[in-house]
Amino acid sequence: MVKRYTSQEYKAADDMIFGKSIYPVKSELGLEVGAGYVTAEVNYAPRPEAGVSKEKLVSEYRRLTTDIMARAVQIGFPAVSLETEHVEQMTNNPSWGGEIAHVQKTILEEYHEEYGIKCGLRHTPGDIRENRDLLALIGPKYDTLMESFEAVAEGGADFLSIETMGGKEVLDYAILRNDIPGLVYSIGCLGSTDMTMIWQDIRKIADKKGRIAAGDTDCAQANTAMFIAGGLLDKNLAHTIAIIARVIAGARTLAGYEAGAQGPGKDCGYENTIVKSITGCPISQEGKTSTCAHADVMGNLVMQCCDLWSNESVEYHGEFGGTSVQCWSETLNYDAALLNVATETGNAKLLRDMLVLSDKYRDPQGYILAYDNAYKIGSAIVKDGNDLYLRSKNAALACVDILNAADSKKLVMSKFEKNALANAKAALDSMTDEADNFMSDSLEKYKAEVAVFRPDDNYKF
Amino acid sequence: MDIDPSKILVRYNVQKEKAQTPEEMAAEMYPSAEPARTIAVAIFEGEEDDVVEALEKALASGADPVKLIDDTLMPGMDIVTKLYDQGVIFLPNVMMSADAMLEGIDLCKEKAGTSAKAKGKIVCHVAEGDVHDIGKTIVAALLRAAGYDVVDLGRDVPVDEVIAAVKKENPMMLTGTALMTTTMYAFKEINDRLLESGIKIPFQCGGGAVNQDFVVTYELGVYGEEAADAAKMADAILSGKGLAQLKEHFHKH
Ligand code: B12
Repeated sequence: MVKRYTSQEYKAADDMIFGKSIYPVKSELGLEVGAGYVTAEVNYAPRPEAGVSKEKLVSEYRRLTTDIMARAVQIGFPAVSLETEHVEQMTNNPSWGGEIAHVQKTILEEYHEEYGIKCGLRHTPGDIRENRDLLALIGPKYDTLMESFEAVAEGGADFLSIETMGGKEVLDYAILRNDIPGLVYSIGCLGSTDMTMIWQDIRKIADKKGRIAAGDTDCAQANTAMFIAGGLLDKNLAHTIAIIARVIAGARTLAGYEAGAQGPGKDCGYENTIVKSITGCPISQEGKTSTCAHADVMGNLVMQCCDLWSNESVEYHGEFGGTSVQCWSETLNYDAALLNVATETGNAKLLRDMLVLSDKYRDPQGYILAYDNAYKIGSAIVKDGNDLYLRSKNAALACVDILNAADSKKLVMSKFEKNALANAKAALDSMTDEADNFMSDSLEKYKAEVAVFRPDDNYKF
Repeated sequence: MDIDPSKILVRYNVQKEKAQTPEEMAAEMYPSAEPARTIAVAIFEGEEDDVVEALEKALASGADPVKLIDDTLMPGMDIVTKLYDQGVIFLPNVMMSADAMLEGIDLCKEKAGTSAKAKGKIVCHVAEGDVHDIGKTIVAALLRAAGYDVVDLGRDVPVDEVIAAVKKENPMMLTGTALMTTTMYAFKEINDRLLESGIKIPFQCGGGAVNQDFVVTYELGVYGEEAADAAKMADAILSGKGLAQLKEHFHKH
């Protein structure tokens, strides 16, 4: 049994700030995350041609790692962290991922020795637990995944992460139908159940190898919702529904920490401010400096409480200013330098609040994720923290209430967004308070409606 | 610290929103005759039970099931699609309406035996190695909503399987979705294999990683930016447009 959070580690929203967390973590090569300064976390993807063989992949990662480190010392940055999100071959063949981690770590060590630059390395094996049409969360693929974690930890990765997919088969169905109970079930219940299982095992591996079980993200669900919702003029999903999915993701990503994760949380978890308010653990975030990978409507705001600052992903190739990883790592590092100046000069809260205000009213999603409101969502989650269902539903309800209470002259919502919100509220109000009933009703409902939902094979309820 | 945000951002979605509500706009489009009206309302509202109930009533009083599809279900769904195209309603409404309409179609087909036929058959798939299938699911749903018979091969579909399905189903069009720069090259291979077999159907490609510049590099490829383009293109094919005309119409530059 894992211990669930029933209170928040941060006692006030205003205490939350970038670069600082209550429980910092430290990498082998001196990088402290959340200990008072923000560090760039550089992300990259190999060129498609590089995936054909292990040798080519290893050499691609060797080159790009060296590029990043060379640029970091050229411009005089004190620290840098790297994240390697596996391409599928690297996880399915654990020794590939392991060797790449080792090659990268060796380069970091050389730079650390020569220049004293503080470095961190995150590896994120892909969640390979699926067959062509069905999730396969438990079974042989799970074992391969765990071998992959062992291999990258052995190879030298400081931070172990994954973007788990539990609940995705139901989410994909529910999100296209404005099905709010379906969001609570897929993200809050199925997702948390899967994460509770997998993160206990990741933590064991981390402890065994002296590494850090870092954290997860609800990329598979909340980011899917955010991308379907898209920009202001897209017509595929109300942004008010996308943010409901996001706050439920707060309750879900939390489950990883309850099962052993220690941070830094994964960059693409836009729910991370909510999670940080509860756990006090450091987080990575991405926004205005990840436009190479995707667009969002809160690029500045998400910097508010970050401990690592990431570009999500960029293909390794040439740009006018160097290779892509050099260009983006430089931008990230300059962003981090500005944040750190604010801290050094006592202006951190001022800068934080400016970042927030630049996006707080741009969209309902930013409004809720602004740290003051995110903190309130955190409070709603821990209220019934021991009940995965109730805490997810509470998060959704709090989100709806905060949006409804917003100053309508500042947060201007379309009729469509308001309508979707009203419907969501009605759906939430008619949901039961009994987790057992909800779980058994949902099981029946989605087994009947979603052909690819195979609960017995995938979840240890 | 707080701010009046009006000087730093504009919510263009609010600015652009129509004065009329979707319900009001739909009401203006409903047919006047019954049962078409009741069925159109039920489809718009996504109430499958009401659709089925109205159809059963009509069938019991001797209505022809095939005519019910053509004269009530299709026009009812057409209202929803039009409002979606105009940006008045959003995708989940379309999905729920389509679910309701398809339930009605199933019922009518059952009653009609083999005589009911779709506007045409279309094969959909996600490229080999790619599991990103939400875009494809949307494409398939919108095609079904427009009255096409969709053979959905799912995601991560090997090239061989796509070719075999096209040979077996003999569709009027094939769609492909890819979200990764690493997987979209399968489309070129599919194109070559189709041509080798002498099959020259339009192969409409879309999804996050795919762009027009890539799609024009293979003969059968037509690029689609949005899911709704798939049904528009199928309609264009039915109206007699060939590959060249499709490219001219659907390509943006
Ligand atoms: C959601 C998501 C996932 C989900 C997918 C859930 C699902 N069931 O689809 C999950 C979590 C499973 C996932 C996994 C991975 N993902 Co992913 N994912 C995304 C994300 C965030 C959004 C994609 C999405 O659903 N968009 C919304 C849909 C509706 O859009 P769409 O498919 O493009 O469809 C629209 C149009 O294109 C059009 N359309 C689509 N098809 C067609 C066809 C026709 C004929 C027409 C006319 C129109 C049309 O209609 C739709 C609506 O208009 C993107 C980010 C991004 N920037 O796109 C990354 C992204 C696609 N993923 C990426 C990666 C790398 C991965 C992983 C490899 C991560 C990992 N390390 O494990 C795995 C892939 C595993 C695999 N082998 O495929 C990268 C791809 C980079 C690249 N190489 O090009 C992206 C771009 C993120 C990034 N910036 O790095 N991912």
